[in-house]
Amino acid sequence: MSSSPRRRIAPEAVIAAVVVILLVVLVPLVVYSKIGESLFPPDAVTKQAQDVRSLYNIVFAIAVAIFVAVEGLIVWSVIRYRRKPGDDELPAQTHGNTLIEIIWTAIPTVIVLFLFGLSFNTLATVDAVGNNPDIRIHAVAQQFQWTFEYLDQNGNKVATQTIPTAAEGGGMAVPVGKNVLVTLDSPDVIHAFYVPRFLFKRDVIPGQTNRFQFTIDPSEATDGHPEILSGQCAELCGTGHRTMLFNVIAMSQNDYDAWLQALITKSNATPPPAPSVGAGATLNVTAQNIAFDTKSLTVAAGQPFAIDFVNKDPAGVDHNIQIRDASGNVIADPPLTDGGQSATYTYQALPPGTYTFICKVHPIAAMTGTLTVH
Amino acid sequence: MATHALAPATTAYRTGLYEWLTTTDHKKIGIMYVINSFLFFLIGGFFALGVRAELAQPGLQIFSDEHVYNEFFSIHATVMIFLFIIPMLAGLGNYAVPLMIGAPDMAFPRVNALSFWMLPLGGLLLLSGFLTQGGAAAAGWTSYPPLSEVGPTKSPGPGQDLWIVALTLIGTSSILGGINFLVTIFKMRAPGMTLFRMPIMVWTILVTSVLVVMATPVLTSALVMLFIDRNYGGHFFDPSFGGNAVLYQNVFWFYSHPAVYVMVLPAMGIVSEVLPVFTRKPLFGYKAFIFATAGIGALGFSVWAHHMFTTGAVFLPFFSLMTFLIAVPTGVKMFNWVATMWRGKISFSTPMLFAVGFLAMFLIGGINGAFSAAVPVDFALHDTYFVVAHLHYVLFGGSVFGVFAGIYYWFPKMTGRLLDETLGKVHFVIMIIGFNLTFFPMHMLGLQGMPRRIADYASNAGWNDWNLVASIGGFIIAASILPFIWNVFISLRNGKIAGDDPWEGNTLEWATSSPPPPYNFDRLPEIRSERPLFDVRHGRLDHGDATA
Repeated sequence: MSSSPRRRIAPEAVIAAVVVILLVVLVPLVVYSKIGESLFPPDAVTKQAQDVRSLYNIVFAIAVAIFVAVEGLIVWSVIRYRRKPGDDELPAQTHGNTLIEIIWTAIPTVIVLFLFGLSFNTLATVDAVGNNPDIRIHAVAQQFQWTFEYLDQNGNKVATQTIPTAAEGGGMAVPVGKNVLVTLDSPDVIHAFYVPRFLFKRDVIPGQTNRFQFTIDPSEATDGHPEILSGQCAELCGTGHRTMLFNVIAMSQNDYDAWLQALITKSNATPPPAPSVGAGATLNVTAQNIAFDTKSLTVAAGQPFAIDFVNKDPAGVDHNIQIRDASGNVIADPPLTDGGQSATYTYQALPPGTYTFICKVHPIAAMTGTLTVH
Repeated sequence: MATHALAPATTAYRTGLYEWLTTTDHKKIGIMYVINSFLFFLIGGFFALGVRAELAQPGLQIFSDEHVYNEFFSIHATVMIFLFIIPMLAGLGNYAVPLMIGAPDMAFPRVNALSFWMLPLGGLLLLSGFLTQGGAAAAGWTSYPPLSEVGPTKSPGPGQDLWIVALTLIGTSSILGGINFLVTIFKMRAPGMTLFRMPIMVWTILVTSVLVVMATPVLTSALVMLFIDRNYGGHFFDPSFGGNAVLYQNVFWFYSHPAVYVMVLPAMGIVSEVLPVFTRKPLFGYKAFIFATAGIGALGFSVWAHHMFTTGAVFLPFFSLMTFLIAVPTGVKMFNWVATMWRGKISFSTPMLFAVGFLAMFLIGGINGAFSAAVPVDFALHDTYFVVAHLHYVLFGGSVFGVFAGIYYWFPKMTGRLLDETLGKVHFVIMIIGFNLTFFPMHMLGLQGMPRRIADYASNAGWNDWNLVASIGGFIIAASILPFIWNVFISLRNGKIAGDDPWEGNTLEWATSSPPPPYNFDRLPEIRSERPLFDVRHGRLDHGDATA
């Protein structure tokens, strides 16, 4: 018997104490810090997304519990069961234990069946498509541009939004609190409609019309204060995949009505007459295989100029030549030219400086160049 | 000197280049598999560094043309999957399986050589795409049509055709190898080596071979249909002529999901050999582990459409349920491994470090996979960087850590010399740090909405910081390979002599010399359990057969 009144603390207890303290300190630190926030999806804006978020939270909680438990056991074993130098004795040769193996087969089975039930339940609301949506939008994805057609209740087109992003004055506007049905079609390759804050994406597949429904939370927008949501293509669709950006703009019903009316008016308006060609130069640009044949153009300052544009891509592949200033504002945006066609684009006189010319449909490196005006 | 080639070989490996190029010895073929796969690992890593360098900051810095970026990530994944992980594990199996079951060689030695030599040929064909007009394949390693069909804005160049031909060759190599393994394991076992005394490594190779033989022909059918579409006016996958684009995805994933288990099961086998040796305990639940392996193999054929949840063209509940269920046998294995370490006496030589690294990292790859099994959550995460994080925790945190555990474990058997322990530990520490820096932030990027396969992102998207961290991590991984290469280089010359059994191994390969003579064994010990060499050292401590 030891004469010391104090018992030695077992090494297990020390390790366990350290592990517990670390967990008690680390887990809240991570969860309540910025890193913790980034372990969750962004704020959900639709009713459906809120359901997905609730499901995510449950999956995440179970995942963290399993991670901490099993990773803890691994760390524990690594620290506790090291072989000491000179220790040549064999540890107990345990081959197995039927009871404990049945238990650790049964418990994960119960957990995954529970998760399956939950996710099946959520799927029913997230994937539901009703018969009487308030708004119908037909979204067309093609290399490398989104087009949003607004349909009436009979499915007839009333207006077309050809500008996909809010930065360029476009975007897919929808009223908050309304049931929106989106049908998806592609004329070329597979794309995907993805809005991170919808917590949702759906593939856009040629030869197959996909559909989904969503309702944006009414608190997201009020009169005069729309909420701009970013979206982009999520399925590799070719060279310009990353440029297939779009915005969904959540608006109050009043704002949306005005917006749609303006779009209808714009769709019906005749294009403004082309400015007459002045004394300036005429340049030649050819597009083939989604690339311009030149990377730089030069024109004189203060004089209108023209570009003879030939599109040698096949029919269905549209291009144009936009001019943008140094800060990215679109100065000129001539109409699209279909594959196999040619056109003469005329441009207003520009002050001296460096500009960018770019295809509106394919804003990729191969269809971007520098326009020098001096 | 002219008679040199005719002289009988005096030692196993001191023979010339001609001997290596014409050998049918499973050990030399296995070593050539390993070297060839490692070279492709460096090539695939180069492409990955290109991708990470581009994404480190917003804006296009490295690639002036996005098409080249698309080639980089497409060839990165194709090389890593088909020319590194799958053949590396097949190569380690090729080396170890005949030794572990007490056989003199594989059942069909010449077929074995044929399966190996198809690999460098396939690899060169794949990479030769870079020399063609339009560059290498750029439609992703999945090459979904219609993007992979012919068309000015799709995949016009011969690079895509070379990709198809290369994969068909590599697939044929896999099928031949798989059949060879199956016949070897069923017909060539030493007396006493019953099925339930086989090392777990052999079991995982057995199940893997069944997967390969059943699934690879289905991939070949997808490739052949795509080739007909591209070159002979077929329209299997072209919707504008009544074809079906999603059909390809079904056929492709019917192979490529089981292929994930082809890449993971043998790594699990390696870990299941290393853990018992370095803990000085038997594998906990040997039979349960075998049933779990078979269960993963069987369930692996019923989960392919979980790659297609967002297509709107698959029956979601079935594939979701099966995907959840496959977590159960995987979980059983994890518990078996932990229980093997429990109350063991663990020594942390480099193979053991990588095996524990496998456990710690593969666990994350299993858990973050469960997120995507929940279909609504997958709607949010599919085709984002979250999936990139998941697959790298499985295939790098899992397979690659397993591969390095195997290389450090069997290097002394292959060469007769031990790798340096200090350099090995440096390699491990740098690699595990770089790995987590690279791939953990990808969870956050995916959750915040960053899609895969984009060459650039807006600077205000909120993705800058984590992308920079991931890119730094990528270069740290690359740096971790340097001590490994140096280690191999110096250990081949000056490494400690290994002797027959440097680790106090359990399985038959440690009963012969290092390196083993041609045809492997002069004599074999008695085989009365799954640990014949343990029995030789310590006698039979218990007289039951390996229990459940």
